[in-house]
Amino acid sequence: MSLSRLCRVVRCDLVKVQSSSALVSKLWGPCAPREVSTCSTQRASVAQHSSKPDWNRAVSEAEKIVGYPTSFLSLRWVLSDEIANVALHLRKLVGSNHPLLKTAKFSAHTLRLLLNLVLPNDFQVGQLTVKIDTHFFSRNLIYNGKNNMQAWGLIVLLVSKAAGHSPEIPDMEQDKAAGVLHSQRALAEVTEMIRTSHLVHKGLVNMNSRQPIAAEPDDMMFGNKIALLSGDYLLANSCSELANLRNQELVELMSSAVRDLAEAEFLGERDEQNNPLPSRPLPKDQIEEATEWDIITDPLPMGGVIGCAGREWSARHVLAAGALLGKSCSAALKLAGHKPQLQTQGYLFGCHLALAWQAFLDLEAFTGPEPASFSLVGAPLAFTLEARPELYEYIEAGKKSVQDVDYHALYKAVLAGDGLEQTKRLQREHIARAVHVLDSFPDCDARTALANIIVAMHHDHL
Amino acid sequence: MPVSCVCYAVHILKRFVAVVAMACLSSSRLCARVQDKLLCQFGHKVRKQTVFVKLKPPGPSPLRIFGKTCQRVTTCGPACGSGGFSAGASSGLVRRLASSLQSTSTGSLPDYGTQIVDPYRLLEDDLNGIYEDIRSELERNTNQSELNTIATYYFDGQGKALRPMVAILMARAVNYHVYGENSALLPSQRQVAMISEMIHSASLIHDDVIDQSDFRRGKPSVNVLWNHKKVAMAGDFILAVASMMIARLRSDDVTLVLSQVVTDLVQGEFMQLGSKETENERFAHYLTKTYRKTASLIANSVKAVALLSGADESTCELAFQYGRNLGLSFQLVDDLLDFVSSAQAMGKPTAADLKLGLATAPVLFACEKYPELNPMIMRRFQEPGDVEKAYELVHKSRGLEQTRFLARKHGAEAARLAAELADSPYQKGLVVTTDLVLNRIK
Repeated sequence: MSLSRLCRVVRCDLVKVQSSSALVSKLWGPCAPREVSTCSTQRASVAQHSSKPDWNRAVSEAEKIVGYPTSFLSLRWVLSDEIANVALHLRKLVGSNHPLLKTAKFSAHTLRLLLNLVLPNDFQVGQLTVKIDTHFFSRNLIYNGKNNMQAWGLIVLLVSKAAGHSPEIPDMEQDKAAGVLHSQRALAEVTEMIRTSHLVHKGLVNMNSRQPIAAEPDDMMFGNKIALLSGDYLLANSCSELANLRNQELVELMSSAVRDLAEAEFLGERDEQNNPLPSRPLPKDQIEEATEWDIITDPLPMGGVIGCAGREWSARHVLAAGALLGKSCSAALKLAGHKPQLQTQGYLFGCHLALAWQAFLDLEAFTGPEPASFSLVGAPLAFTLEARPELYEYIEAGKKSVQDVDYHALYKAVLAGDGLEQTKRLQREHIARAVHVLDSFPDCDARTALANIIVAMHHDHL
Repeated sequence: MPVSCVCYAVHILKRFVAVVAMACLSSSRLCARVQDKLLCQFGHKVRKQTVFVKLKPPGPSPLRIFGKTCQRVTTCGPACGSGGFSAGASSGLVRRLASSLQSTSTGSLPDYGTQIVDPYRLLEDDLNGIYEDIRSELERNTNQSELNTIATYYFDGQGKALRPMVAILMARAVNYHVYGENSALLPSQRQVAMISEMIHSASLIHDDVIDQSDFRRGKPSVNVLWNHKKVAMAGDFILAVASMMIARLRSDDVTLVLSQVVTDLVQGEFMQLGSKETENERFAHYLTKTYRKTASLIANSVKAVALLSGADESTCELAFQYGRNLGLSFQLVDDLLDFVSSAQAMGKPTAADLKLGLATAPVLFACEKYPELNPMIMRRFQEPGDVEKAYELVHKSRGLEQTRFLARKHGAEAARLAAELADSPYQKGLVVTTDLVLNRIK
């Protein structure tokens, strides 16, 4: 039973990777026909010239090196009887109009993960997944392709393999075929569970707001319930997975990453649905000196952060992404018996990679046709606001809901200024730092795979 | 009178045996206790006149108890149809009988021959400042003031602090048991007490968002005051900080034990979403859910303090079972109070469970006499008038009585287990706590 379920999960993932890349080329086709044609020829050749599908290529190549990051084996509760009940509720949720399903945050991957966990048989899984994908996620697949949570566990595994492990680790603990330790694989899984849990909790709807809510209150409440419990479920499982690793320093480090994610949701201004808004830019002479984050198990110091575009952007995304990836990479090296110094390097690699990734996502909104909306806390807009503080009045219009913001005006302002240029510089900086760490690892297939992922991300905007 | 007594006893027996056979909760032991209870029903009148023996005998069960128990067994045993209790009954069985006989003493404080121990007063120094310590631990872990405000909201010192109290009581009792009179409370054990309250609060905060409750502990609940997304994150935050505190104890076993609590809590929540078709399944479902949602936290945190004390495996297991029984008793009383207490005393609305669509023990018991409750349970009391009708039927039935009875059963078992620890004020405190839990009004 458990094995067949496992196979299904893996198969399902395989299918997904293919279908999403097919969809990527389809959707990108109209706006960038030249790229599509190059991509089909490139499939056979080595990745040299970068284009969108190279991302998927880099990721799927990397997956072959270390195996799938999520084994699902440890999620024993998948088979527990009571949990199957939730299937019914999820089905009800799919029929409802809960925005949880519509937000990019609640990605296809997340839902698939939950469905795989809770649904008792193949037929329902297939039917539901298809229905959900076509109805709610087709537009988000590109975004999810790049912001794929699976890639996070994958990075942790690649770093594990690239750094190797101390000779003292007993044979029993090694997954020889993949070149990583079983404990590192479990850790990669924890990383994904923590991230998924956070995203699912972020997908809640605030029902305590003055704004009328679009759908039926009962549907909303029900969606919130499921989202909250599903997130808690993943969190609880990551707790017990971590406990099973029997390494208390590691538990402390990873728990601090969960804390950082929670803190991220409180940083700066928010609209009524807790969507982030940038802070009003402070004049240069009023910005305090920033404090370094020396001890990463302590909370991120906030001195001199708010109102300073660059720092605010970094702090926000270190808390929301960098800390988790960095701490996971660092923890993976700890499990392999590496010295604290290398563990720190692992942290830096993960953190810089996550920030480079974020800069890339921020830029993406400005590469294609003009989008209906984009992140208000992205780096391009932050830099633009810093240069032209008078634009902040557009932001203030979004205090109730980010939907009230005049995105067109801000879009034009970003294109007119040098925000994009600065963001690209920022991205290059983070990439350079990540690559610097990478250079200290011995040359191997995992290191190359990491380099390819970075290159795929890097080249997109050059 | 004796006839009705028999009927009631047999009725209870039928119910429990069915329930226990379904539940995975140490079924054989519970079964045995149910039979004991059957006997108790008969002994009730007689016992009222007997003098209570000390709950904690210095060694193995003294012969005194044995003699009295035996007498009663032989007088009422055969009449109950559970014959075969002869003089040759195993000593284990007699011990269980002895403990179950004593169980009816719960509800009225037994005379210890010493002054009555108030656990809260006994632990005044240990519990003093526990909420402040939790608040400063949370404050240390965030630089976001709103997060700090939400996360510390329920740590205002207005709670009963039952979990920390029980954890510290057990810690001191076990330390005394293992190291004797000069033992002290370990800082790590006090940390576990704090952690237990933090995990509890984190789950309360998430419950508030799920259930949309308006009041808790006599003040507006978190979901009324803040953005639900932030509230959910604050719950995650408290759990993360608690989990860091656990890790800093640097004990693999304690971390494993406490991580089980979190898993149980969520599984319990999921169980609450579903319901079972048949009555027996439903009761087993209810008991397992109750263990996971309430008892697991108490059981595993007292186990954790016993582990930290360095006690042997059987003592840790004893601590766990004490916590499990106390927790079940606590929740049963809670479910009972939901029907009988006033909103003002509870600090939260009454019949809240029914309004949430939950069928707790009183309803499940009542539905034996009033089968019309079955469809209401299945539709989770959603149709107009369901809640009122169910409320009325529960009061007309013996559901409340039977719930109290089951709660006493578990309280008595907890008291019996506590009595096995070395005699100390803390050990007595553990026994008294079982009474506090049963006799509380809020």
